[in-house]
Amino acid sequence: MRKFTIPTWCTIGWLGFVIFLAIFGSLLPFRPWEYVYEDSLGVAPFSPGHLLGTDTNGYDLLSSVVNGARLSLFISITAVGIGGFIGAILGITAAYVRGKLDTVMVTLFNVALSVPNLVLALALVSVLATNIDVNNPVPTWRRVVVLTAALTIVLIPILGRIARAATLSWTNREFVVAARSMGMRDRNIIARHIVPNVLPALIAVGFLAIGVVIIAEASLSLLGVGVPDGASWGGMIARGRNDLEYSPHVLYVPLAFLALTVISTNHLGDVLRSSLDRRESKL
Amino acid sequence: MSLLSIKDLSISFDTPRGMLEAVRHADLEVPAGTSVGIVGESGSGKTVMSRAAMGLLQGSNVHRSGTVVFDGHDLTAMTRVGVREYFGTGMAMIFQDPMTALNPVRRIGSQISEGLRVRLGMDKRKAMARSEELLTLVHIPDPGTTLHKFPYQLSGGMRQRVMIAIAIACEPKLLFADEPTTALDVTVQAQILQLLGDLRRDLGMSMVLVTHDLGVVAGNTDIVAVMYAGEIVEQAPTKSLFANMRMPYTEALLKSIPKMDMPSGKRLQVIEGRLPDPTDRPVGCGFAARCMYVQPKCHAEHPPLIHDGDGHLYRCWFPLGKK
Amino acid sequence: MAGSGTAHMRSGEDVILAVNDIVVEFKVGGGQIVKAVSKISFDVCRGETLAIVGESGCGKTTLGKAVLQLPPPNSGEVIFEGVDLTKLSKEKLRSARTSMQMVFQDPISSLDPRMTVRQLIEEPLWIWDRGTNEERTTTINKLLNDVGLDPELVLDRRAYEFSGGQCQRISIARSLALEPHMLICDEPVSALDVSIQAQILNLLQDMKDRYGLTMIFISHNLAVVKAVSDRIMVMYLGKICEVGTPDVIYSKPAHHYTAALIDSVPIPDPTREVSRAILQGEPPSPVDPPSGCRFRTRCPAATDICASDEPQLREVTPGQFVACHHPRS
Repeated sequence: MRKFTIPTWCTIGWLGFVIFLAIFGSLLPFRPWEYVYEDSLGVAPFSPGHLLGTDTNGYDLLSSVVNGARLSLFISITAVGIGGFIGAILGITAAYVRGKLDTVMVTLFNVALSVPNLVLALALVSVLATNIDVNNPVPTWRRVVVLTAALTIVLIPILGRIARAATLSWTNREFVVAARSMGMRDRNIIARHIVPNVLPALIAVGFLAIGVVIIAEASLSLLGVGVPDGASWGGMIARGRNDLEYSPHVLYVPLAFLALTVISTNHLGDVLRSSLDRRESKL
Repeated sequence: MSLLSIKDLSISFDTPRGMLEAVRHADLEVPAGTSVGIVGESGSGKTVMSRAAMGLLQGSNVHRSGTVVFDGHDLTAMTRVGVREYFGTGMAMIFQDPMTALNPVRRIGSQISEGLRVRLGMDKRKAMARSEELLTLVHIPDPGTTLHKFPYQLSGGMRQRVMIAIAIACEPKLLFADEPTTALDVTVQAQILQLLGDLRRDLGMSMVLVTHDLGVVAGNTDIVAVMYAGEIVEQAPTKSLFANMRMPYTEALLKSIPKMDMPSGKRLQVIEGRLPDPTDRPVGCGFAARCMYVQPKCHAEHPPLIHDGDGHLYRCWFPLGKK
Repeated sequence: MAGSGTAHMRSGEDVILAVNDIVVEFKVGGGQIVKAVSKISFDVCRGETLAIVGESGCGKTTLGKAVLQLPPPNSGEVIFEGVDLTKLSKEKLRSARTSMQMVFQDPISSLDPRMTVRQLIEEPLWIWDRGTNEERTTTINKLLNDVGLDPELVLDRRAYEFSGGQCQRISIARSLALEPHMLICDEPVSALDVSIQAQILNLLQDMKDRYGLTMIFISHNLAVVKAVSDRIMVMYLGKICEVGTPDVIYSKPAHHYTAALIDSVPIPDPTREVSRAILQGEPPSPVDPPSGCRFRTRCPAATDICASDEPQLREVTPGQFVACHHPRS
């Protein structure tokens, strides 16, 4: 039915690989990423024992990247998943019911969208996940949760608007009027007719959003408010900034992973979107 | 001498489902000063043929063979730039859907004067003045104000008139009208058809009228060509065609349309079946699968276009009326 | 033109639907109100096909949907089988809907593109929890056969794989699933090819005969309507112009708009002279309709009284009702 091109298969393969690493990474026969190889500082890739080399502090880059995969994917998929779910509920309801509810919802969306994402995340992290006492650092999981929550909040209006727009285009079709004329309850109409038609568009956008969130998290890490200790890809990039001159691989390895993953999600999002358009154009 | 002469025109498209033969070996002559109707249903190839005749078909997946000669010039031998010289002054087209045929973000005046400035080299002021005259010619009330309006502010009938004004702005010799009234109400349709007839007479324009409505061709054309499944299956002067149908398809089409003078409550005569698949044309006659009078020969051999004495052409092994 | 005017209404056991003084108006941008249907009344007898004819903007589609309360009219009564639908609670209205179904204009968009034919036709049965799985399958197969489709070939395919004519057949099958008493057809053949129109029109006639249906047939095509209707109602800008039987209306139209409408239809006969005296101008905006008779701005016979007094429907010949101060004779 669908013919995937070679680039598409490559991106699927890459994403599958990254997901595998994220889920099963800790089962692989590596030392934990925090293990410091004191006698192999700044070693280049393809050296014995260190497939991707180490950084100047002695952390093995392969282990770090695997750990980073887990974090980046967890944060992005959770944020997009929950944000999309809530946004979709709000957007679909607003577009179906219309009237005052719709006006209120749209205003809320617009207000939420006017706050710059990174600033919001920064504020939330500073308040909720930072200790004044430098000697008592905040546990990593708390940071991760706050970060994910911040990004989720940012995503709700974005995905909500898209869900609303998609719903608007479907509720005017005659089959919705037909369903009502048969005596179908509104909640059933939404569940059986609107959602299945809106979902594919949302999923396509969701893929694109995953890429955006991964980069957002990386940006926050660069600013110092991401996952602490440079555990994520963004953190690795932040750490590796200074090594560009003598050990550039320290920077390039996480950069490559980040870039390839985001390219893959973008491409798959595009492929999904255009395969949907084709199906719609048959109507 | 024909104004437009289409010979052996075939057009196919490359699609994922295979080669789609939209038009097959079509011949059509449009004598100067006449109105020629092309009648067919959707999928008959009539729109593709009229677009191809005007040189509007583009795309790497389009395969074309045959010739189109306009006013003595072979358009098929020219480049796209060369053919464009004939747009506006030689040939013009009006389309079916007035909603989408006009640019929604440009004012009416600017859309009409575009052709005048580009083709006839008028300056802006003269072009606007001429645009206003054209709007009067197509019976738009209050043309001065309308020049500054946007398409969404006009009704469907008004937009169609604007489209006609754009088309006749440079006084073309030949006007293609592709289903110009299908999207309009019946009273507006009558107005537009009357307008087209008047303009034809006053400007000495020839017309190719593409439609699915036999009623429209009956009152507005001198010659009618009937298309089915990409081929011209019957062609004759209008009065002869209706008086003396040869092609079973034409007869079936006429019989299946509900008519005003039919007694009410009667069942309509139906053409069973569906149009053939354009990617998989049958070997014999395209209408054989649905024809009331079908014989074995119809499935086996493809009928050629036969010329009757008095300008009547038909594509049938067993035409009606002939003994 | 009348809106008000009930001379054409009938009474008695036979009347299955009576619509009284119905008004449908809705707001559009800029605080303006579109007066789509302005206080008209009509009725339909059991087993009859009433055709509602008019051009775009006359309110016929809005009227059809208002009868089904989709959305409910601003005022007026819709009495179906003795019950006023406008006064029903939401729940009671839901169940009343099963007796009245609609066939829509665009066959393809009236079917959910993601559902299979089986799911589409089963849906009304599912909503009302009718029949076991087996009984439903039997019903679905029978309906598909009735509309001329082979269940084996179509049941598991999705709507977007079918042509316009086939989609309309599926749509008709679906509308019959609940065994309604009345079918409202909103331009059911306008979007179809000419050679398919005849098939669907015949199908609707067959279904009507087989299931004993009453039909309201909304269309802008006068010729189509003549073939299928027992009674015709001509509308213009939210009001009724004329009501009567097809034979009478087409041969001796009493209202000037009806006459203009009939004259405008292109006849497939080149020996007939095309009338030069066609209706000029455009219909006025429904936001600001003319006072008195709404057709007076384009009517060749308009006088002062047409601007001041709204004409009421009255009988001019037996069975023919017209709302005009100067009907044609």
